[in-house]
Amino acid sequence: MKNLYIFIAVLFIPWSFSLAKYDEFEDGDDIMEYDDNDFAEFEDVSEDTVTESPQRIITTEDDEEEATVELEGQDENQEDFDDTDTQEGDTESEPYDDEEFEGYEEKPDASHSKNKDPITIVNVPAHLQNSWESYYMEILMVTGLLAYIMNYIIGKNKNNRLAHAWFNTHRELLESNFALVGDDGTNKEATSTGKLNQENEHIYNLWCSGRVCCEGMLIQLKFLKRQDLLNVLARMMRPASDQVQIKVTMNDEDMDTYVFAVGTRKALVRLQKEMQDLSEFCSDKPKSGAKYGLPDSLAILSEMGEVTEGMMDAKMIHFLTHYADKIDSVQFSDQFSGPKLMQEEGQLTKLPETKKTLLFTFNVPGSGNTSPKDMESLLPLMSMVIYSIDKAKKFRLNREGKQKADKNRARVEENFLKLTHVQRQEAAQSRREEKKRAEKERIMNEEDPEKQRRLEEAALRREQKKLEKKQMKMKQIKVKAM
Amino acid sequence: RYKPPATETNPALEDPTPDYMNLLGMVFSMCGLMLKLKWCAWIAVYCSFISFANSRSSEDTKQMMSSFM
Repeated sequence: MKNLYIFIAVLFIPWSFSLAKYDEFEDGDDIMEYDDNDFAEFEDVSEDTVTESPQRIITTEDDEEEATVELEGQDENQEDFDDTDTQEGDTESEPYDDEEFEGYEEKPDASHSKNKDPITIVNVPAHLQNSWESYYMEILMVTGLLAYIMNYIIGKNKNNRLAHAWFNTHRELLESNFALVGDDGTNKEATSTGKLNQENEHIYNLWCSGRVCCEGMLIQLKFLKRQDLLNVLARMMRPASDQVQIKVTMNDEDMDTYVFAVGTRKALVRLQKEMQDLSEFCSDKPKSGAKYGLPDSLAILSEMGEVTEGMMDAKMIHFLTHYADKIDSVQFSDQFSGPKLMQEEGQLTKLPETKKTLLFTFNVPGSGNTSPKDMESLLPLMSMVIYSIDKAKKFRLNREGKQKADKNRARVEENFLKLTHVQRQEAAQSRREEKKRAEKERIMNEEDPEKQRRLEEAALRREQKKLEKKQMKMKQIKVKAM
Repeated sequence: RYKPPATETNPALEDPTPDYMNLLGMVFSMCGLMLKLKWCAWIAVYCSFISFANSRSSEDTKQMMSSFM
């Protein structure tokens, strides 16, 4: 199956390039037929060019009819040489259409009729034969489309089966832990639909809620795009695997302030660049987890050493070592705000909103060729998630840790404010100017001259007061400086 | 509790493929019409298929149908 697709896809490219030539020839066909009647007197000149051109075309194309065409072309030209009105000969041999070569079988007949009756002009229709070969471009394209549609259906079904297999294996565990499993967001009240929400042909969502310490958990099954043929072909070059992303939103009171991540080195490097919180709070490069008994493939990024100590207890280490190949990244953060937003200079006026979250990204084993059975192997990972939720709730930093954490956060905020200081000043300035302008307008619009005068006086007084205040401040600063 | 999988603050940022394909499809179909190049029209059809395959389920089918045209 796959080989067939590759074959078809590879065929497209050269065909499409070669076919542009034929389009031009078809257009040339029409033009030639109509123009030749006008240029009857130039038949000698045009015949010479005509005799050359069919032979040129013959050499450029690789048809079986080459041999027969050459002979017929030469015969016909010799016959036409004697005739006075040889427009038909010109029209028939000039068009550079593949159909014309098949039509040459009819030429002897046409020439016979011409010999008997040299004056009659025989109108040769453009499409001489309705054979399949004249439509091979269309046939090829339609085959390609059919292949794409088939791949779409197959891919869609496979993704569907995988998703439901996952859900069936995990359903019990989820239902025992969460009161509400599966919700569309369409109903006004929270009702448990018990079904996956299909966002796309390759993305499935599941929202669970109703557990003690967390607000909710969103599970996203991000499969590979098996329904898109281009993606399938791209994946043959670069293997990738399905991912299961779990995002647990914690309640504010249930998680202490720390930022911590564990995962494959590559994933952590990428996350550290992308995620706002990791880049701000975890300044070091990912450290190897070998100190705690983790395999080499995993690395740790954390705000403080104390957090790592606290997180890496025996059970967690057990989970991580056993399922290291399936784990892509695990991130606990109280300042989670998503990936860094690319904003322009003047727009950053506020720190982005943060939420306390635990993020897990798991790779489904099989790297692309997964079967529904592989989903069962992800079940223990789900129990790890639930264990982590409980752990995050229980884990509290000691006093020192808390101080450090608070300091870090204050530092980040300060940096941010410094960056935006200029912009905020400008914003405040512009606001003040707006107010002044609005007032002036009001004064101008005021029809009654009395009121106008009064308002002007009030505005003047206000300005004077402001000036005085400023002067007082300056004096105070000078005194203090001294 | 509460249930907003009104998720994905920036779905457009995360996968622009269907939108690009839509645009390409329109461009190619215009080219095909104006310049009378058949292969342009075929590529346009392919683009619209790809866009449909990658699209999010929240988009309406009417848009899809019009893009097929």
